[in-house]
Amino acid sequence: MTSMRHGSEYSRDLPRVNVLSRSQYENSTDNFSFEPEPELAYSLPSTFHLLDRPYSHGFSNVSEGFIQRHNRRPSDEISVTSSSPFEMDPVCREEKDLVGNLASMSTSERIKAIQKMPETMKKKREIRNKVLKEITKKTRHHSTRLSRCTQCLQGTAVLFRRFGNSLSEYSHLLQLWHKTLKIIGAKFGTSVLSYFIFLKWLLTFNMFSFLINFSFIIIPQFFAAEPNNLSFTGLELFTGAGYFQQTVLYYGFYTNATISKIENGPPYNMQLAYIFTVGIYFVICFLILLFSMAKSFCRNFINPQTYSGNASKLLCTWDFNITNEKAVKLKQKNLGTQIKEGLTEVNQEVLYFSVTERVERIVIHLVSWVASLGTAVAACAGVYFLSINNLKLFVKGHKNDLEGQAAMLVLPVVVSLLNAFIPFFYSWLGHLERFQTPGYQIYIAITRNIILKISIVGILCYYWLNIVATSESQCWETLVGQDIYRLVLVDFAFCLLGSFFGEFLRRIIGTTVCVSLGLPEFDIGRNVLDLIYAQTLTWIGILFSPLLPGIQMISFSIVFYVKKVSLMMNCQPPRKVWRTAQMTTSFMFLLFFPSFLGVLSVIGVTVWRLKPSEGCGPFRGLSSMYAAVSEWIKILENYTASKWVVWIYHNLITSELFFFILSVIILIITYLYWQIIEGRKTMTKLLRKQIINVSLTFSFILFF
Amino acid sequence: MGNKQTIFTDEQLDAYQDCTFFTRKEILRLHGRYHEMAPNVVPMDYTKDPDVKLPMQLIINMPELKENPFKERIVESFSEDGEGSLSFNDFVDMFSVLSEMAPRELKAIYAFKIYDFNTDNFICKSDLEKTLNKLTREELTAEEITLVCEKVIEEADMDGDGKLGFADFENMISKAPDFLRPFLPGPVQV
Repeated sequence: MTSMRHGSEYSRDLPRVNVLSRSQYENSTDNFSFEPEPELAYSLPSTFHLLDRPYSHGFSNVSEGFIQRHNRRPSDEISVTSSSPFEMDPVCREEKDLVGNLASMSTSERIKAIQKMPETMKKKREIRNKVLKEITKKTRHHSTRLSRCTQCLQGTAVLFRRFGNSLSEYSHLLQLWHKTLKIIGAKFGTSVLSYFIFLKWLLTFNMFSFLINFSFIIIPQFFAAEPNNLSFTGLELFTGAGYFQQTVLYYGFYTNATISKIENGPPYNMQLAYIFTVGIYFVICFLILLFSMAKSFCRNFINPQTYSGNASKLLCTWDFNITNEKAVKLKQKNLGTQIKEGLTEVNQEVLYFSVTERVERIVIHLVSWVASLGTAVAACAGVYFLSINNLKLFVKGHKNDLEGQAAMLVLPVVVSLLNAFIPFFYSWLGHLERFQTPGYQIYIAITRNIILKISIVGILCYYWLNIVATSESQCWETLVGQDIYRLVLVDFAFCLLGSFFGEFLRRIIGTTVCVSLGLPEFDIGRNVLDLIYAQTLTWIGILFSPLLPGIQMISFSIVFYVKKVSLMMNCQPPRKVWRTAQMTTSFMFLLFFPSFLGVLSVIGVTVWRLKPSEGCGPFRGLSSMYAAVSEWIKILENYTASKWVVWIYHNLITSELFFFILSVIILIITYLYWQIIEGRKTMTKLLRKQIINVSLTFSFILFF
Repeated sequence: MGNKQTIFTDEQLDAYQDCTFFTRKEILRLHGRYHEMAPNVVPMDYTKDPDVKLPMQLIINMPELKENPFKERIVESFSEDGEGSLSFNDFVDMFSVLSEMAPRELKAIYAFKIYDFNTDNFICKSDLEKTLNKLTREELTAEEITLVCEKVIEEADMDGDGKLGFADFENMISKAPDFLRPFLPGPVQV
């Protein structure tokens, strides 16, 4: 009867997908595919425990050993409890197989496989020594003539590895703020840490942009710079106008000539450099965002049907990152409270609302949505009219007195005030609505905030692209650049102020005046949305003000330190359990989807449709910024050596047919992948049923 | 740095580097931490592989582990004799698995061992109850504890034997991506 089989024999019949063959995936957490990671195959001895001895062999074969070893006793103790006299042979044989397998792999794979073995260190060292002996035996066996060569090679390989190891020791120094992040994670847990990691990630985008802008656009411009006749008063730092108008800060300063300072050297075409630098930067950003999002999504995607809190709450939510005593106690208390809440939810009967109550709830929801959307629309209208007034001020004439300068700051301050205070209104609405779960309330609040921010940025872009670009001002791109500079600056100031009021003052109030409030918590959602908003502004501004990423870099660094200090001094660890992995995925998704794609469309419209100003900037006199590229291609047509570039341009980049075919192919591939996923889901369900059936069958047979 | 240290032979350090996720510097730093816990017992010269073990009481007082509710179980899972005393090999092994460079599957294997209080290779109901008590500092009543444990087993038990084998455990955490986060005390701070 099948049930009487030994556990070991049964498992040997299963396809042995052991860890060693997976070493081809370099680090299994970096799987780029759409499919869920291939988990370790397991043999199924669990149903045979009734029959077999509960203590199992200390097989060193990885595919079985990790389940069956229970404590790390040395292998000579294992066979005590076994009944069969043939137990030693399989152990030795397994080990020989393992050593043979390891010896035949390349060095790095072997090291990874040994590192991954769940054995005692002593055992791992023994296996490693055996493997090394095996390898030297093999090489001695294979090549006696080439022994000197192979020895040399091996020696150099070892040296390289040692060098690589010592390099990796110092690589952690390159990671910015590594220690700070660890401390934050230890005290506040991974959810707050995810905000800081996101901030650091955005900072790298800005650093990259600043580097390429600086090297390709700004430095050449220094060679062709015209003298700056305007005077510098300190007020320019806030308004961005005045002296700064004739500096590399703004688009208007850049020349449209081809710069040739070096005698007989290649000329540097500023127009092409400008448009290609910006274009390539956005393409690279797009790819980076796409890949990060896909990776994060694939790793963290949870099928919402199969995820329900209990088992994971118990076994997966303990954040071993926390080492601070108070934080640990708080976390334990929170977990206890959560479990209690979960239990009361389960125990409670589902509330049946009467018809009137349900209608009432729907009406309240509708009213709050109308109110929030209405507020957003009103805010947009206010911003729009204010900006039109602003433009009139500009076009009328340059007022360099204090009043004129201050008037320029009104728009950014109003925008930041709206962004700061309307969310409070939204959370008040949320309280009124009495949602069933607090998590739902948070999501609705975040959604409304996103809608508000998107509409404000949208209306500003509309104003810039439709009103400013067609106005009679001399250099509309510089005007737009100045607007964005002021917006970024004021937003930065409000961020610091928000930290001061929201956390510092709130702590003082919470500990002295109104003790029931307690310490504030770090509001992750709101802060992340602020970051995304700031980054959106920066991305829009790159075309009009190439130095803006540098400014944003500095501002993000300052924000990091200020937030960190404020967090340590004022806040307590978060009370709710945030699903951190899902959160980081949604942050990236928010960054990509409304923010980056919106920026791409704005830039697209600017480059393709708008007429650059006549008197300033690298594209003066052309019909559109893109015309620089088409004119360049026309020039290239005269040279036979670059015919292939012209061909690519005409048939791939400007041809609609090509993009149409590409889209169709991508849609087909997406559809196929979707069907594969659906098929796999059905298969998982079937397999699950099979497991239960098999185990029930066998336990039935046993008792029969 | 270079070759000035006399604690380990180069060959030993190579072996440690191959078998764990640490670099030379980190291994030497770990030895420093191991030594300072019991300077009279732990020799500075490890070239002959001395057989020195530190008892559990010393190890669970390390700042990285002190506040962890599972500290005893963690140390027990890595100790060779099952009693909780760690030799230097086990000590390095423990921090290697707990570090952020260890892959998820390895952490899953040891997580399973840690939660398996009675070391029978299954997480049974009593194991879950002990886990829950440690997680919530015994705030729940006995009734609530039983209820939660029953729910957990109901959800995660795939083969219907009333307890969680490694397969069930792995299946459950594959659906919870936050699992990667828990085992992340940083590399030992000097």
